[in-house]
Amino acid sequence: MMNLIGIVGTNSDQSTNRQLLEFMQKHFAEKANIELYEIKNLPAFNKPRDTTAPPEVQDLSDKIKEADGVIISTPEYNHSVPAILKSTLEWLSYTTQPLIDKPVMITGASYGRLGSSRAQSHLRQILDAPELKARIMPSSEFLVGLSLQAFDEDGKLADPNKVQELEEIFNEFIQFVDITKQLVKTNPNKNKSKSFSWEKN
Amino acid sequence: MKIVGIVGSNAEFSYNRLLLNFIAKNLKNLVDVEVLDIDEVPMFNQSDDQTNSEPIQYLNKKIVEADGVIIATPEYNHSIPSALQSVLEWLSFKIHPLDGKPVMIVGASYDVQGSSRSQLHLRQILDAPGVNAVVMPGNEFLLGEVHQAFDEDENLKDASTVQFLESCIKKFIRFINVVTIIDSPEGMKDVSSTEDLYATGKIDTTIEGVDMEAEDWVEQAAEAVGAVEGDTYVKLDRGILTVNQLNYFLKSMPAELTYADSNNQFLYYNRMYEAEDMLASRTPAQVGNPLAKCHPERTYSGVAWVIQQLRKGKEDVVRAHVPTHGPDKFVVHSYQAIRDEEGNYLGINEYVQDIKPIIDWYLKQTGQQLTGGDVDAVSGATEKVDTVSGATAQD
Repeated sequence: MMNLIGIVGTNSDQSTNRQLLEFMQKHFAEKANIELYEIKNLPAFNKPRDTTAPPEVQDLSDKIKEADGVIISTPEYNHSVPAILKSTLEWLSYTTQPLIDKPVMITGASYGRLGSSRAQSHLRQILDAPELKARIMPSSEFLVGLSLQAFDEDGKLADPNKVQELEEIFNEFIQFVDITKQLVKTNPNKNKSKSFSWEKN
Repeated sequence: MKIVGIVGSNAEFSYNRLLLNFIAKNLKNLVDVEVLDIDEVPMFNQSDDQTNSEPIQYLNKKIVEADGVIIATPEYNHSIPSALQSVLEWLSFKIHPLDGKPVMIVGASYDVQGSSRSQLHLRQILDAPGVNAVVMPGNEFLLGEVHQAFDEDENLKDASTVQFLESCIKKFIRFINVVTIIDSPEGMKDVSSTEDLYATGKIDTTIEGVDMEAEDWVEQAAEAVGAVEGDTYVKLDRGILTVNQLNYFLKSMPAELTYADSNNQFLYYNRMYEAEDMLASRTPAQVGNPLAKCHPERTYSGVAWVIQQLRKGKEDVVRAHVPTHGPDKFVVHSYQAIRDEEGNYLGINEYVQDIKPIIDWYLKQTGQQLTGGDVDAVSGATEKVDTVSGATAQD
C-alpha cells in the first residue's frame, strides 16, 4: 500500500484543512496510509549561514523522502499561503530538498466561497521553483469553500458530490504517483538542484 | 515627506537592505527614508495573537506615521520570503496599518530575474482586503545579479540603474500625493486655498508685532499685551478663578485641548505631557504658529476642509479616528467649533481623547458586549471580511 504524508498547511489550533486531511486519512484508509504532519513547531526560516537542517526539519524531510507522495492542504491568507507553510518549504528547499521529483497533491479549504483558490495557485508556483521541483499533479484543483459548514459532526465531508470529486482526484493521484515514479526512474535528476538562485553567493 | 523602507528578509545579510540603505542615503534630498528590519517579528500564528508585542507595534506605529512605504523583497522559491509574509499576516490580522497606504515595491535577487515573480506575488498579497495597500502600478524596479551590483562603498555601480531608481522614487512621491487627494473629503479637488492657513489676516484678538513663528511667542506676546498670570483673578461665565486655578483646571481635562482662532493661529494647548507622551504631539515652541506650520503640506487640503465645515456652520464638530496608537487605544480627534452667543465662528477647540477606556467602562457597567467583531473569532480573520473570498485570514 502507498504511504503518503499529509501536511497541514497552518499552525492554527483550529483548521478545517486539518479536518479535511483527517477525513481523507479515514476515507482512503483502504487505498493508502496517510500520515498527518503538523508544521506548527518548525522554527521560522531565517536563511542561516549553516545550511544543515534543524532536527524538526530533518524529521519532516526524512518522512517526505520515505513517502511515496505528499498531500499539502493549505488555507488562504491574504490571497496566498500562510507564512508558516512558506517557511517550511523554504527550509526544505534550503537544506535537504526532499521534494525534488516527489509527487504532490494540493488541496485546500477556506471559510469563504473561493476555497483557497488563490493560495493554491501560489503554492503551485512555489513548488515549481528549481530548489523544490516537486512533481505537482496537474489539472486537479480540490477546493473546499465555506469550510466551516462543509463537515458533519463525524468529520465527514457532508456533500456527497464533494466526496465523489475528492475520490476521483485521489484515485488519479494514486496513479500519478506510479507514473511519476516511472518517469523519474527513466529520467533521473542530477541530484540537487543546480542553480540555487536565491542563496548563491 | 516621510517614508519607511521595509527590508523583506530576515537574513543576517541582505542585498535588499543594501538597496534600501542606498535609497535612504542617495535620495535624501528627495525624501526621508527610514529603513526598518523585520527579523524580530515572530512567525504569524492566529492561535497565538502577538499583535501587541513590541516589534509588531513598532512597525505598526512607523507605518501609520509614514506617508508611504517601500518594500524591498528578495525571491525565495518564486515568491516572497515567509518572514515578510508573516509580517503582512500580522499587519492584516487585528491591525491594518497598510490600509490605504501608498506602497512601492522594489526587489533584488542573485539571478537575472531580480525578484520578478516575488514582486507579482507581493502585489497580489498587498491587494488582499485585510491588507488593502495602494500599490503603485508600473515602475517595476528589479535588481538582478545583485552580488555584482554594488561597489565596496555599498553604492549602486551602474549609473543608468541609479537614474531609473531615482525616477521611480520621484514617481512614488507624486503617487503619494495623488493617493492623498483621492482620500481627501472633497475628492480630486484641492481645497487648501479656501483657508488662509498661514494666518496672514488679522482678527480683533490677534497680537500684532510678534513673530508668530518665534519659539518664545508666548512670552513675547504676553509682554506685548500685558497678559495676567499666577494668582490674578479672572472673571468667567460663570465664576471667578485665578489664572493658576484655570490652568490646573484645563490640565485636568480628560483630553488634550488645543485652541486655534478664526485667523487659523494656534494659540493654546493644555500642556500636561511632553510631546512624545501625547496622543497628538504638541511642542511648547509651536504655540503661536499659523496652522500651516503645524501640519505637513500634503494635509493642507484636509485641514482647510475641516475648518470650512466649522466656519460655515455645516458642522459643529468633525471627528476623526487617528490610528497612531496600538489596538489598546482608540484615539479620536474632535474638531469642535467655538462660537460666541450670536453664533459667530471664533475658532476650533480640538480635543484628542482615547475613548477606549470609556467604552470599556460602559460595557462593564451595563454588562453588554460588542458584537460584530466576534464573527470571525474562530478564524481569527480581520473585521474586513471580503464577501467574495470570505475572510482574509482563513483556514
